Amino acid sequence: MTIRASKLWLGYGVAMAWFFVLLWPLLGIKAEGLEFAESISIWLKVAVAAAILLGLHQLKQGGLFRFLEKPTQAASAAADALAARVPRWLALCAVAACALAFPMLTERYAHDVAISVLVYIILGLGLNVVVGLAGLLDLGYIAFFGVGAYTYALLSVHFELSFWLCLPIAACFSAIAGCIIGYPTLRMRGDYLAIVTLGFGEIVRIVINNWMSLTNGPNGVLGIKSPGAYWFKDGSFEHIWLNSLEQLYYIILGLAMLTIVAVYRLNYSRIGRAFEAVREDQTAAELMGVNTLRLKLLAYAMGAVFGGIAGTFFAARMKFVSPESFTFIESAMVLAMVVLGGMGSIPGVILGSLALIALPEVFRGFEMYRMFVFGGVMAVMMIFRPKGLWPAKRMGARSEERD
Amino acid sequence: MEFLLQQLVNGITLGGVYALVALGYTMVYGIIQLINFAHGEIYAAGGYMGVILISWLFAQGYPPAICLGAALLLAMGYCALLAMAVEKVAYKPLRHSSRLSVLLSALGMSIFLQNGLMLTQGVYDRAYPGEMVQGGFEVAGAVVSYMQVIIVSVTIVLLLALNLLVFKTRIGKAMRATAQDKTMSALVGINSSRIISLTFAIGAALACAAGIMVGLYYGSVRYDMGFVPGIKAFSAAVLGGIGNITGAMIGGLLIGMIEVFAAGYISSEYKDVFAFIILIAVLYFMPTGIMGENVDDTRV
Amino acid sequence: MKRALYLLSMLLLVSLVAFGCGGEKKEEKKGEAPKAAAGIKIGSLGPLTGPYAADGNDIKNGVLAAIEVMNPEMGALGPVTLQAEDDACDPRQAVAAANKLINEKVTAVIGAYCSSATIPASEPLIASKIFMITPASTSEKVTERGMPFMYRTCGRDDDQSKAAISFMTDHLKAKTVYIIDDKTTYSQGLADNVAKLAAAGGLKVLGHEHVNQGDKDYSAVLTKVKAAKPDVFYVSLQNSASAAPMLIQIARMGIKTKILAQDAVYHPQLMELAKKDAEGVFLTFGYTDKETPSYKKFADAYKKLGEPGAYSAYSYDSTVAYLKAVKAAGSTDPDKVKAELAKLEFDGASKKIKYKENGDSGSNYVIQVVKDGKFTNYWNPENGQLFAK
Repeated sequence: MTIRASKLWLGYGVAMAWFFVLLWPLLGIKAEGLEFAESISIWLKVAVAAAILLGLHQLKQGGLFRFLEKPTQAASAAADALAARVPRWLALCAVAACALAFPMLTERYAHDVAISVLVYIILGLGLNVVVGLAGLLDLGYIAFFGVGAYTYALLSVHFELSFWLCLPIAACFSAIAGCIIGYPTLRMRGDYLAIVTLGFGEIVRIVINNWMSLTNGPNGVLGIKSPGAYWFKDGSFEHIWLNSLEQLYYIILGLAMLTIVAVYRLNYSRIGRAFEAVREDQTAAELMGVNTLRLKLLAYAMGAVFGGIAGTFFAARMKFVSPESFTFIESAMVLAMVVLGGMGSIPGVILGSLALIALPEVFRGFEMYRMFVFGGVMAVMMIFRPKGLWPAKRMGARSEERD
Repeated sequence: MEFLLQQLVNGITLGGVYALVALGYTMVYGIIQLINFAHGEIYAAGGYMGVILISWLFAQGYPPAICLGAALLLAMGYCALLAMAVEKVAYKPLRHSSRLSVLLSALGMSIFLQNGLMLTQGVYDRAYPGEMVQGGFEVAGAVVSYMQVIIVSVTIVLLLALNLLVFKTRIGKAMRATAQDKTMSALVGINSSRIISLTFAIGAALACAAGIMVGLYYGSVRYDMGFVPGIKAFSAAVLGGIGNITGAMIGGLLIGMIEVFAAGYISSEYKDVFAFIILIAVLYFMPTGIMGENVDDTRV
Repeated sequence: MKRALYLLSMLLLVSLVAFGCGGEKKEEKKGEAPKAAAGIKIGSLGPLTGPYAADGNDIKNGVLAAIEVMNPEMGALGPVTLQAEDDACDPRQAVAAANKLINEKVTAVIGAYCSSATIPASEPLIASKIFMITPASTSEKVTERGMPFMYRTCGRDDDQSKAAISFMTDHLKAKTVYIIDDKTTYSQGLADNVAKLAAAGGLKVLGHEHVNQGDKDYSAVLTKVKAAKPDVFYVSLQNSASAAPMLIQIARMGIKTKILAQDAVYHPQLMELAKKDAEGVFLTFGYTDKETPSYKKFADAYKKLGEPGAYSAYSYDSTVAYLKAVKAAGSTDPDKVKAELAKLEFDGASKKIKYKENGDSGSNYVIQVVKDGKFTNYWNPENGQLFAK
């Protein structure tokens, strides 16, 4: 016990010394001379915080909190039992009721964030088909989001087509884009796929940014219409624009629910099983008679369809699209949602989207520190839950990982 | 002719920098199959350490050559320590989990480091003091600045040193062995954990040198300078065959050349599109990159 | 599975609490409405993180300086407080930040920087009758959408390009020009305007190149410029940080032509980064008389926040204009303030501030030159005269 403890504190000492060596040159070396005060004050704060954490850990190991363990265990067991007794449909209904009641309980900023979360849930679930189910790494997924958004934006501005008509059109366009991107990548594995999809994502963004006559380049497309609807009013049906955040919230909630059901059904369909077979072992799947080439293309196309739907809504909601919304970092964010939540798991992806969109907003108060904290939290979360927040049940080693 | 020659000079300079950064990606990938997203940030940190150290040494009144040399060595050491810390904190605990988890952890580290640089160094660009290296000469009408000469020669020296290290020393042998088979190399007494740390350190030192030279060449550094070259260098590493040292050098040079010639002869706004299209085309016909990734001798 | 369920509920709880806090605070305020009315809350919107963080901080600091100056004058209406939000120049985050500001019950927003953030953010803000005064978005579309509470303190792209053209033809007597921009709404819009007007003014455009935002290596494009040998090289880049390496590389390449840039490049860090290579560069910039008392007042208030950037003075003036209008109206009622804002006319730090019907405040572009490491007024397109030294 004591040996382990001393080793732990030795490690702590080394880590803190190391941290100081990394911190001081950044803050302390100035052309005017060397300065220690600022870096030492920061270092002390970090060192004390780390020491407290380590101390707590030690005490926990030493059994100081054992008196707390029993009641918490009992409580969690009781809660477990309670949760087990609640039927699944009731839990789902409760979640749905919460989602439906959400706009009535909150203010507009929360609505706005909730809309963003739902858009990203659709994106995450779409990417989940490609990455989680079929096991194909995709770093350029946001391109489909962009294709969907621009399809609706241009059709709405130039031809005044309605949102509901454009939804399937944009989905088709995205699916075609998915096939175009998917085709050359079929022969590649793992990380080559990553760079090629990344390349495609960048190509789409650069083309959008430069094709002035079509997309108006960096200026973006203005004047996109909101979704319309016919509403019973004063004895006749009247056409209204669904402009307010509440109305938009319900539209995207509906789309997200549709996506969830679709992906859920896909998960347990023949195709879904075939995707998983490809993911787990491509050669074996091929031997069993799965047409891997066609399936991979299908995975890209299906993922792209959801991306396109989300993009269409995004354009309608912002009433403005510009290439800045479709950068690589956005692709990385969507991928982060999928992996953080748990690959192949629908509730996981929802949780991941919630965490990655809501967290930076919650951290807004930190201003400059916002992204700094976010990056750190992301790394730490991965270390403590490497399989994701809510791992999928059926998940083996990906076929590429084995070699 | 003059135009062509000038673009050639531009391309070699740019390519040399990409090659140095690409080596870090390729070495790390070769040994633990991880796309180290945080590598671009190490390059940026190198650029900043260069500014900090050179400003300080300059203010102490040392001659430029000594400032440059000392800053280069110290900053390389600093970046090596930084990369080792990143590896210990963010990648080592995940060694046995899925590759995507590590990828995300790397992405998180990249955001963390970039914003850490922003918080400690400010949002404004930092300038290198004075013009450290001035002037240049003309070859058949093409202007070659001394800074370009320095970039290319430092790149060549570092690449040669790396080759010596990997292929002629015991450590290099251990690195190659670990890359080939971690379990087997552990059985013959190689401390694979230490070798992995060392690989990170070497890759970081090279990126750091690239960062300093780029900072000197463009006159300033910024906290987000690592992102774009990071992606380009990663493409270069893949183009050459990821995990392959010679491949990374060739890939870096090629990407630099493609970019410069596409901008010079076709269209500057679509230059990145050309770079990516060529990358995709090459991978389509040679799915493991130009040099291939499974050339046993050169894989690290 | 069950543990995960707990996790979900916990996360939900956390986020609800987080948003709920915002709601609760407001309810408190509603409860003590008479007290809450005392005090003016201003929001600022701009990129505090990301590649344009420097400019976003200039805007925020400008507002801070203005609040410091105006606070003693506001009397019973005060105190004025600032809520600074980050939009990272991303349309999605800009809208989220705008909605947050609406929640926080601000009465005016100073920002944003990128036109692509200003335009989507203005929709919810103006629908909630909140003033949006942009100190930096020069795109014509910002004010030409007929938005009632949208104002702009800086100049417009089209006016700036006219000044640039008249300088090139009348003063430099140039025959040929080579144009470069970096593909942002602002830089490209301006460059396109210059290219259009150049043809009309008898200037021959030898080439119009675009580089990507964030590039640092311009050697390939500059080699082209060198081969074309233009009389003037028109550089339209998004900020000083990308202009500095461009100037360094121009000098290194041995290109000796006259260089004309625009106001986004205006920042003291240009000289710090490009050093002697920045000497002799011309740029179009809103005329600022640094000797006026109002500029000195601004400079004093700004001193502890650092060196003023290109948009600091505009952001300062926007805030001052709004607060002056509030003071005149005696309340923050949007319609009353709007009426006062229309009447308002005063000498700001950057220029004489007078908002027109559509929200523009007019432009007064002159040509400045970098001389001995300082931006100095050089030539006035109004009368075609050099400024007296």
